Amino acid sequence: MTPVAGPLTGDARILLPPGIQKDSVIYVRALVAHPMYTGFSRDENGALIPEYYIKTVEITYGGRRVARFTWTSGISRDPYVAFPLRAPHEGPLHIAWTDTKGRVYTQTAAIAFGG
Amino acid sequence: MENHESTGRRSFLRAAVLGAAALALSGRDLLAAQGASAAHGGPGDDMPDAAKKVLREHFGARPIKDGHVSLDLPEVAPDSREVPIFIETDLPMDPDHYVKAIHLVVDHNPDIYVAGFELTPALGKASIDTRIKMRRSSQVRAIVETNRGELWWAHKLVYTTLNGCV
Repeated sequence: MTPVAGPLTGDARILLPPGIQKDSVIYVRALVAHPMYTGFSRDENGALIPEYYIKTVEITYGGRRVARFTWTSGISRDPYVAFPLRAPHEGPLHIAWTDTKGRVYTQTAAIAFGG
Repeated sequence: MENHESTGRRSFLRAAVLGAAALALSGRDLLAAQGASAAHGGPGDDMPDAAKKVLREHFGARPIKDGHVSLDLPEVAPDSREVPIFIETDLPMDPDHYVKAIHLVVDHNPDIYVAGFELTPALGKASIDTRIKMRRSSQVRAIVETNRGELWWAHKLVYTTLNGCV
């Protein structure tokens, strides 16, 4: 039922609301494609699939770290997270997801006012 | 007309699933539910020892108080591989008093400490919206930690129908 990690693993997206006003608090939604294996599931041959998941998420805004998440495989497949962010200035919002094999998936979105 | 019919069928299916979930609840789960509603106060409620140990490892002997945290979770999770969870707090996000972290604990999961979200005042507010896996029916706890070392929590019993540990 659970497909093996495909070529889409690591495909990352940041979704920002339209028309961001200076100093407003916006909600940032972030998604990354990842199988998030717990180590308890089995493949079609009955063999255990080893544990493999996103372990840390680093969020920077204008080069400054604003949040850091520590995850286990208890976060669902293709992890989704939404969090608030105050926008006092324009600048890049950068998110880096690191998995247990040390692979890093990144995505950047521009915080810009107006729209 | 066709549209109307399919909506009706879907809500019927949903009702059937919820009914089956209610029937599947064991006596033990019901006892746990009673214990949960009766228990208020510190971490010494109906928590399994393993979960208490996790709290001790993370927070030592610091008291965890009820309040300031709202936890939005389904009562019955139709898919325990993806249980939506929304944690929110009314605590300030000021430079000298802010929410430093939100911790997520599921008593009956293999990894009891599911996730930690370290926050800073730059966020302006403190909330987290995500999706978690659940092995079976369990208390789900959100613990909010401030930079002053205060700990606040909310917890909720969530019924599951399938093992979501994939």
